Amino acid sequence: MARPPPDPLYTLRGLGAAVNTLHFSCSEPARPLLFSGSSNGAVHIWDLTTRRSQKVLKGHADSSILWLDSLSRENLISQGRDMRVCLWSLAEGRADVTDSLFADSVGFCQCSLMQGGQGTWLLAHPTDCMEEVKVIELPTKAPLGSLKPESKLGMVMCMKLLQTNSGPMLVAGYEDGTLVLWDVSQRRPLSSLKAHLEPVMSLDFDPSRLKGVSGSAEQTICSWTLDGQQVLQLQEQVELVNPGISQLCLRPDGKILASAGWDHLIRVFGWKKMKPLAVLQYHRDMVLSVTFSDHQDPKQRMMAAASKDERISLWSIYN
Amino acid sequence: MSGSFAVLCYTGFHYFILFFILPHGRYANRLRKGELDQKRTGCSTEALSSYKIMGQIEEPKKAFAFLRPSCVLLTREPSVKNVDGLKARLQHVSNEALQQLQDYVLFPLRFVLKIPGPRQEAVVQAVMEVIRYVLENSCVRTWESLRDLFSDLCLCLCSPDDPGKPASVSEELKVAELGCLDALLHAAYGDVVFHLYEPSMLPGLGAAVSLLLALAQEKVRIVQVAALKCLQTLTLQCDCSQIHVDPSPEESRLIGSSLASFLPGITQSLSHVISGDVRQGHGVTVRAMKVWYGTVGIAMADSQLEDAAVTEAAGTPELGRIRELMAHRSSDWTSRTSERLLILLQRIISHTSAHQHWRVRQELVNLSNYLLSNCSKSLGECTGSLLETLVGAANDEEPSVRDSCSRVLKEVAQRSQSSSCKDLTNFLSENLLGLASSLPRLMRASDDQRKLFVLNIFLGYLKILGPQIEMVLNSAVHLQRISKALVQLLEMDVTDVHVVEERSLVSQPGTGSENQGPVSWRKNFVYFRDEQIIAVVQEICRMLGRYGNVHLLVDHFLSLYKESSVYRKQSALVLNEIITGAAGVCLEACLDQRRSASGQDLKSLVSLITEEYTSAENWNLPTTADRSMTEDQDEKTAKSPGNLQLQAHPKTRSLTIQHFNSNIWQICIQLDGISSFALALGADFQLLLMALLYPVLEKAGDESLMVSLAATSAIWSMCQACGYDSPKHLINSNADYLLNDITLNLGRPSVHPHAPQVLAAMFEYSDASLLPLLGDIVEDVLAALDLNYDQRAPLFGALIHSVMKALIKWFPTSARKERAATITKMARTEFNARHFVLEHKRQKELAEGAWTDELEEQDVYPPCQQENDGEKTNLNHISISKNIMERCIHLLSDPRLALRLKVLDVVENCVHLLSEEGDELLPLVHRCWPPLLQRLTNDHPLAVRRAFTVLCTMGETCKDFLRKRVSKEVMPKLTASLSRQAVVSSKAAPIYTQTLAYKLQLTVVEGLGPLCVSLDLADSDLDLVWDACVPYLSSCQPQKLQDACLSTFHALHQLDPDSCWLTLSDLYSPEPDPPPHCDLWPPPLRASAQINEFTENVQKLLQELQ
Repeated sequence: MARPPPDPLYTLRGLGAAVNTLHFSCSEPARPLLFSGSSNGAVHIWDLTTRRSQKVLKGHADSSILWLDSLSRENLISQGRDMRVCLWSLAEGRADVTDSLFADSVGFCQCSLMQGGQGTWLLAHPTDCMEEVKVIELPTKAPLGSLKPESKLGMVMCMKLLQTNSGPMLVAGYEDGTLVLWDVSQRRPLSSLKAHLEPVMSLDFDPSRLKGVSGSAEQTICSWTLDGQQVLQLQEQVELVNPGISQLCLRPDGKILASAGWDHLIRVFGWKKMKPLAVLQYHRDMVLSVTFSDHQDPKQRMMAAASKDERISLWSIYN
Repeated sequence: MSGSFAVLCYTGFHYFILFFILPHGRYANRLRKGELDQKRTGCSTEALSSYKIMGQIEEPKKAFAFLRPSCVLLTREPSVKNVDGLKARLQHVSNEALQQLQDYVLFPLRFVLKIPGPRQEAVVQAVMEVIRYVLENSCVRTWESLRDLFSDLCLCLCSPDDPGKPASVSEELKVAELGCLDALLHAAYGDVVFHLYEPSMLPGLGAAVSLLLALAQEKVRIVQVAALKCLQTLTLQCDCSQIHVDPSPEESRLIGSSLASFLPGITQSLSHVISGDVRQGHGVTVRAMKVWYGTVGIAMADSQLEDAAVTEAAGTPELGRIRELMAHRSSDWTSRTSERLLILLQRIISHTSAHQHWRVRQELVNLSNYLLSNCSKSLGECTGSLLETLVGAANDEEPSVRDSCSRVLKEVAQRSQSSSCKDLTNFLSENLLGLASSLPRLMRASDDQRKLFVLNIFLGYLKILGPQIEMVLNSAVHLQRISKALVQLLEMDVTDVHVVEERSLVSQPGTGSENQGPVSWRKNFVYFRDEQIIAVVQEICRMLGRYGNVHLLVDHFLSLYKESSVYRKQSALVLNEIITGAAGVCLEACLDQRRSASGQDLKSLVSLITEEYTSAENWNLPTTADRSMTEDQDEKTAKSPGNLQLQAHPKTRSLTIQHFNSNIWQICIQLDGISSFALALGADFQLLLMALLYPVLEKAGDESLMVSLAATSAIWSMCQACGYDSPKHLINSNADYLLNDITLNLGRPSVHPHAPQVLAAMFEYSDASLLPLLGDIVEDVLAALDLNYDQRAPLFGALIHSVMKALIKWFPTSARKERAATITKMARTEFNARHFVLEHKRQKELAEGAWTDELEEQDVYPPCQQENDGEKTNLNHISISKNIMERCIHLLSDPRLALRLKVLDVVENCVHLLSEEGDELLPLVHRCWPPLLQRLTNDHPLAVRRAFTVLCTMGETCKDFLRKRVSKEVMPKLTASLSRQAVVSSKAAPIYTQTLAYKLQLTVVEGLGPLCVSLDLADSDLDLVWDACVPYLSSCQPQKLQDACLSTFHALHQLDPDSCWLTLSDLYSPEPDPPPHCDLWPPPLRASAQINEFTENVQKLLQELQ
């Protein structure tokens, strides 16, 4: 008989609102941090050593936080439903918005950030036109182009920037279940794949295996590969018991994949063969986000899941 | 020759003058001027004072003239009288003059001693006293006079027949002679005295020494003391208050080499003296020891032996036979001597280490110190014994011995640590290991005193080794041996039944508000009972932790801990102390300011250990044969046999008392460990609270008293370490950590049955600021309850009870309500028509929801916003109580009475809390009604009573919402039972007031009035109430019931004064009021004015209610 699934290592509470997004920042030597964005517009900074909230950032007027990432240890970037993307400076205990960008998107699509060169980043963000994605360079905010499919695919639901041999690319998932691979520099689609019947809710991509995964509102998780001709090819489909995936996240070492389900469950898969490994039951409402920490010490790496039940659970699994 | 010399002297005074004119610069160089002056003038304060009184003769010439007659007389006729005459005259001569006339005065005295033929003891003794007086007040400046006097005195001491033996004279004489000799040696000038030790003097000195030794072995104490004193002086070890000569290195060598010749004799005989009869008194023993080590110290001094071999080899050729007497201090000689000395030393140690008098033990410490510091190389073989002696004495019962011993030990430790004394270290570690391997055997065999002694020695070795312990422990074999010894030593006695029987009275994690400090409990060990022993063992472990490699030690003992349950407790004990030691706490002002293990290291070690301690198999041990737990587990096992790994201890029942005892101790030790870790880490412990606070709190509520106490003390230590002033503060500040564990554990009640208790304790200690967190957890609790209705309901019942209690505490029903209450109260007290009408109108408006109070209106706007804010937070507690009340609906009809009672309490609290939220409350009350009705009408009296109070509360808050139900479903039954009971209680004996039925009766009668008022009952219902209450006005009823009934009538009077009056008048009407108008008939009253059982109360009521 298999061992029963573990309990969470710790639960972070007291947020007072559904938690939409999580982001770890564990670069040494400072103390490891976890950022969480809630639907009441608060960004909590959790000290993972004491497991207590260190600070609460409020910059998106009470509207929901959609997405968080960090440019560096001291620079946080947040996207809120007030249609703005804010850059924060956290150096020396500050908590100020240093810059902000009006994305003008009313949707739920999360932005995507990728380091371009030394000190520059690419940010893909949705725009007022629901199908369009704009890519800009940070910190200059110089536009690199706008990616808008010709055919009617519906709203852009999720996206991820990738660095490949032939320049930066973007995989985007659309409302009708299609995935499109864009060449960012040439601003043209390279290939598309109709992976799902329902809107694509989340996707992640493993650049080392050139393999990605996407989840939708339906009961399947699809994995697909990118072949030599930059064509997306469907590889595998995993059936779930209950429909709805809010987020998929690959562990940085490319060994396991975690899914945040609408059925309150977190599922863990082996990434290589998409083998289901564990079903973690803790939350009492939809799990909205799941992410892995990037801690140097593998023993201290954690997985965090955020849920609509106003809690964040920290897990120590397969370390 | 001396005879003619004397004649010469007496005839020619000039000779003397000449003698004194001779330059004495040589001497002056030797003896510093100050010393000289002091020696001359300050030798005796008595002399000085007598001089002042009598006026002494300063002038040598006058003195000479003054003394001459007595001297001459004495030479001519030696008698006691004449000697005394001389003595009396001497008193009048100043010291300076005496110094000049010294030889002149001494001459007749010596002359007397030399008179051939049998001596008169009395005369000799008197002469000795005078000589002593002279010597004490003057100096001997020439070698010749020293030598002559010395030999004269020695001659006097020895028996005339056999020069090797002391004369058989009276003790007084011997003492006088010895005193004289002592005075002579003290009086000798610095350079003169060293002539005594020249090789040519060896025979004479030898004779003196052997004489003195012989005297020291006599059976008379004063002689022994005097002889030993002389020997001390002779070996330049005198400890009297006079000034002594400091020998230069060269002179010391001279003394050393001559004493080396007598060393065998001196040491041998003195060790006889030391190990002699105890009755000789400690003074003799102490002095003998002083001489012993003084002599050995001089003869074997490291500083001398280094070059003695060279200088003495050269030697002086012209000595002839004397040379044979001289000891040649070669290395060969040294080693031989030290071997012999070792035997003697061991004899001395064995006789004195346990001597009854502390001065002797003190002297032994001095001896060890002296020899260790002066002769550590030459007496290499003896170092071990000496160290052992010191270490053993370190815990002497006499504080001064202890102090000096520890001082000496510290010096020795420093010496051995500072100099790279490989030999000493090796030697010490060997001794240590030897001791370690023999420890277990000793522990089994010997008595507590001996064990303590051995352990003290062990500890002493560790102290001396200091940082070198690390090297010793680096060897796996050594570590193994020491750890085995410790673990075997610490085996605990687990047969005591009391340990298991003691139950804690605190039902909940008793972190109590009472300010109890740490409580410790005596641990019982198999091999010893003495408290001191465990203290020493702890100290040993701390020393190991302090100086050893902490990582290695922790690793080793942790693996022992895991290895077998046999070693678990012991290893935990050792681990606790090691960490304490490593942190440097509790060590008496450390031997040196060595680094204590770095905080980070220590923290990681502590978390490693505590992780092991609090792991399920070491922490959740059964401490009592708890029936309910076992049953639960049996049920569980029966239900899910496949799920066995969740059962912590499926075999609880088969465990014996020993097991429980052992478990209790293990948990206690682990808790003690956590406590000491907290103190060791200080503020660094804060992070560990995350993992440890819950387990410790859980144990604080353990049924076993000992565990509970240990946990409580651990909590206090945590508070101390992390800077919280009380457990309450600790819990409050770390509620989030606690909650995390609690929620997880609530999910698995079979493994963690105490989670609800911990939570309940937490509720007790936290305040409303934690409500957001608590709201969260209450949801978890309720979810857990939903899953475990049948088995765990009582536990959860207690829990929600505490939740509601806390909520009531945090959210007292608002001031608004209080005001309303006071107003109605006012109305009740001073009732008048106008007020009544106004109040009635107000109430009516109120009921309609129109709030028109002027007071309230004035500040409508500002508080409006506050209220909005407040509503947000309040929402939380409202929803919590709503959720809880929903659960209660089901639990109200639980088959367990205790639970039903609890739940009734909870419902009451819920109703209180929700009283302002009518929209929420009324539907809930509606749903609650059926089971509540069952409780009211068809249950155990206890439940009925509780249910009735709940009903009263509901009536207060829901008012007329309940009127119909109550009047229809409750009142008939209630009043019927009241009437029934009235018959019983009116005839009952006083003991009736102790019964349940009575209490129920009382509650109902008391509550009925307010209930009717709040429900605004009328007419037929009131009639029922009147009927039911009337019997209680009878004076046959117990007093309390009567009083309660009176208050009910008061209340009912508000509702319907007329029918009240009528009812009362029906019972008894003293004298009906005349009708207000002549047209009206007087009311037809059933009762007459006859006095009956109701008269008293009715009268009272009628008067009060008018």
